[in-house]
Amino acid sequence: MKKDNLISVTEIQRFCMHDGPGVRTTVFLKGCPLRCAWCHNPETQSTAQQILYYPQKCIGCGACVAVCPRGAHRLTEDAHLFDRALCQGCRACVAACCSGALEPSRKEMTVEEILTVVEKDRAFYGALGGITLSGGEPMAQPENALALLRECRRRGIGTAMETCGYFDASYLEALVPLVDLFLWDFKDGNPARHREYTGVDPARIRQNLCRVDALGGVSVLRCIMVKGVNMQEDHYEAIASLWHSLQHCKHVELLPYHAYGGSKMIPLGMEDNGRREWIPSEEDMETAKNILIKKGIRLK
Amino acid sequence: MTFYAPNGRVRPVRLSESTRQFAWDSLNQKYGQDALKTMAISMDDLENYESMTKLERYDEAIYRIATQAPIRICPDEKLSGAATLGMAINHRVPATYGGKTVTYSISHLTIDFETVVKYGVNHIRAKAEAALQTHLGTEREPFARSCIHCLNCLDLWHQRYLDALSSMPGYEANYRNLQRVPHQPASNFYEAVQSIWFIFAFNRLCGNWPGVGRLDYLLGDYLEKDLRDGTVTLDEAREILAHFFIKGCEWITGNSNFQNGSGDAQHYQNILLCGIDENGKEVTNQVTYLALDVLEELGISDYPTSVRLNANTDPKLLRRLAEVMRYGGGILAVYGEDTVIDSLTKYGYSLTEARKFANDGCWEVQVPGKTFFAYIPFDSLRVLQEKTLKGYAPDRAFDSFEDLYAAYLVNVQEAVEAIYRDRTSKLLKPNFREHEWQWGEQKPCTVISLFEGGCIESGHSYVEGGPVYNVLSPHIGGLADAVNSLYVIKKLVFDEKKLSFAELMTVLTNNWEGNEPLRQYVIKTYPLYGNDNDEVDAIYARLLNDFSAFCRQLDGRCDYKFPAGVSTFGRQLEWAPFRMASPHGRRAHEVLAGNTSPTPGSDREGATAIIRSYCKADLVNLPTGAALDLKLLPSSVEGEDGLDALVALLQGFVALGGFFMQPDVVDASVLREAQEHPEDYQNLSVRVSGWNARFVTLCKEWQDMVIDQHEKG
Ligand code: SF4
Ligand code: SF4
Ligand code: SF4
Repeated sequence: MKKDNLISVTEIQRFCMHDGPGVRTTVFLKGCPLRCAWCHNPETQSTAQQILYYPQKCIGCGACVAVCPRGAHRLTEDAHLFDRALCQGCRACVAACCSGALEPSRKEMTVEEILTVVEKDRAFYGALGGITLSGGEPMAQPENALALLRECRRRGIGTAMETCGYFDASYLEALVPLVDLFLWDFKDGNPARHREYTGVDPARIRQNLCRVDALGGVSVLRCIMVKGVNMQEDHYEAIASLWHSLQHCKHVELLPYHAYGGSKMIPLGMEDNGRREWIPSEEDMETAKNILIKKGIRLK
Repeated sequence: MTFYAPNGRVRPVRLSESTRQFAWDSLNQKYGQDALKTMAISMDDLENYESMTKLERYDEAIYRIATQAPIRICPDEKLSGAATLGMAINHRVPATYGGKTVTYSISHLTIDFETVVKYGVNHIRAKAEAALQTHLGTEREPFARSCIHCLNCLDLWHQRYLDALSSMPGYEANYRNLQRVPHQPASNFYEAVQSIWFIFAFNRLCGNWPGVGRLDYLLGDYLEKDLRDGTVTLDEAREILAHFFIKGCEWITGNSNFQNGSGDAQHYQNILLCGIDENGKEVTNQVTYLALDVLEELGISDYPTSVRLNANTDPKLLRRLAEVMRYGGGILAVYGEDTVIDSLTKYGYSLTEARKFANDGCWEVQVPGKTFFAYIPFDSLRVLQEKTLKGYAPDRAFDSFEDLYAAYLVNVQEAVEAIYRDRTSKLLKPNFREHEWQWGEQKPCTVISLFEGGCIESGHSYVEGGPVYNVLSPHIGGLADAVNSLYVIKKLVFDEKKLSFAELMTVLTNNWEGNEPLRQYVIKTYPLYGNDNDEVDAIYARLLNDFSAFCRQLDGRCDYKFPAGVSTFGRQLEWAPFRMASPHGRRAHEVLAGNTSPTPGSDREGATAIIRSYCKADLVNLPTGAALDLKLLPSSVEGEDGLDALVALLQGFVALGGFFMQPDVVDASVLREAQEHPEDYQNLSVRVSGWNARFVTLCKEWQDMVIDQHEKG
């Protein structure tokens, strides 16, 4: 098991422009309590070490076959077979792979190591930019997320957190003062659909958001628009009532569903579950925007 | 009329329909093709041509050009004068004898438009007449006479335009302006623009390719006064300025000017905007914003335009620049002017001179209007491969990285010295020695010399030591790849001892054939220059310091300056056939890094990391400059967030001490290229609202989808 002071990270990405204001360094934390059917970062869901395999990069050298203690890799005449059920995540094959066709989905990093990367772009943050914690759900590693945020505060680095909102409310008092901006995913206002498509009940998410707002936390609501699923009047109404109940919400952002998340299923050995029929057209998006504007919502 | 934007972004419309039509025609080669109809003026009827001196032939050529070149007056044009001879577009004096051009012409300089606008050509004539008196009876007399002759030719050409315009209805303003400028000082904005254009056009008519320099600095006061007096409106001024930009497109022919693929800038007709003046006061004015409006609306890239930024640049201006940059096409490049000015003063220029800096028509820095400039590039990667590693001879071995580096430095120093010797032998008067310097005779170039401070007074032409400053700058090329090669040898052979030096030499001799796993390992394992990796960046910084020190050692030994710079322009194409496989996983003959940019496809960490790596060198030791090319995907600069990001990039670049950066918002076609040549784009990241992936790791279907998304904008 991992040590407490190590943070599970899938990736740190520099020069991000769409994860909050200004130039940001986004730290993707691994692990998420939800299982959204439209998840665009499926490699961040599980806390387990999953080995990503990119067939395009494989040169068929066989090094992974030789080192795997579990016999998870096999090379046949025309294919590289990777039986993930056998894999125990020891990473021996990753180290052996010369081409980068095998990558670990989880890296363990200390706060200091993460901050070293984040510090590099200080010259570009200016007054707006900084770090964005994303995931997965950053608060699935609550102590780690708080430790990171605390250190950023101490160093004067701006902070934002992208969250699905489903986490232990007892951390809120500590969390809110540490975050300049919450990018809050609000997935569906219809509880039954929310349960069906994300696996959890939305009540807690709503409660957490209202609490954050009451504690003075500034937020942006980010609503994914999935055609035929949540692009419905009851959801729009829920967004509106939430918006009107919040004191410190800057605006609502509508993000059209895209099927790209499916592309990441392939390296994970899962079936590409991208659903083209869920992609809203530009007109669909316009309609949704107009409905929300009529309900008095400030849209970005 | 839809003016092209690489990413399909819609350009605003502010200019009048007739101005837009003029731009449309000009950009679509109407005038370039017209010029190709009269390539040059013939001198074949000259009976005594063979017995004439070079200068006499030149003078005759200028006379014939001035009196015989077609006069062109375009519909509705607000500025008069045109460079109408096709051969000038090819960097030749457009006069021929026996079918051959009389002589080559001059580029890589920004001439002294300030004197032209403020004091007028009459002032220059007075100077030339005084100089002739001084030089009478001396060796300098022929040049001094040639100066007067060329001014007379300018007058003849000027008179032809006056004659043509006097009877043409609709061109009253043009006629009125030309009655005053360029001979007398401009008295308002319109005249000032006409004055610059006329002298610019005359130089170009005679085959030269001068840069324009700091347009807002030259014109700002005139516009301010006119606006105050109410004699011009901003909209009218924008139209006038637009015509300056449009007329500068009269050489667009659809043909490449250089067949050798070096990718040099169009016709070196560079413009600089913003930055401080010689007193340290910010120049940015209404002309700056009007020029940005014009660039934004017409997308004219024929005047490669740069902006001088500093720590105090107004964020509002930065935002406006970012808006214009976003249209793509690399329309605006940036100087970190604090670094440039530091570099020039450290080198020895006075602060006042340093603050005036413009460029040579590409991006190499110079004091405009008084500098002879040439750069001499060399391929530092080839030096490493051929000299230090003896073409990967199997018996080549070093005991440590330091030994290898020391041996390499010796070869770099030899390359710099070879450049110095070569130039000295070309420029020094025969039978003289370097410390008793006398400039040797070069090809005549009186016209350009008239507009370069120092030439008339000294009686020496632009290429014979006339200008106040004479600069020959050795430029190190192949930098990133030489650095990456050294770094990978260090890691592979000396630090990790993966294989012996001799084994590596064999691998490279075989062009990585049969060693794909090792090649992949190298590519995957070592973050190369451009990834903000301190270890490799330290080698980069060290090599640049050592190189500039070698240049300094030779500097001051003779009459020309010898400051260091970095460039390849497009020479990475020409150099490719001579290059062998390189230790950082590249095969022989690959097209590698340009200028101070990373090896293509090796940058995994994004724009900020590239800038950080680049800024780790002491760029102030490179007084003529080091250029960084930065490619940005349209999606990364989309929306308000994208503008913020672009502004932050510019501010970070300045704060970190960057010298020159060419940001370019690339077309979705890059993605298509990446699809076809994934090996060159291993680390191109694409991002669509919250989702991101390395492009080449996607399967074709996904790639197509991403391309589709980008093409839609
Ligand atoms: S909350 Fe986000 S990371 Fe978690 S499953 Fe849903 S989309 Fe994926
Ligand atoms: S991580 Fe270990 S167990 Fe899993 S496939 Fe690689 S070598 Fe085998
Ligand atoms: S080690 Fe890497 S490149 Fe070699 S066969 Fe395995 S996955 Fe492919």
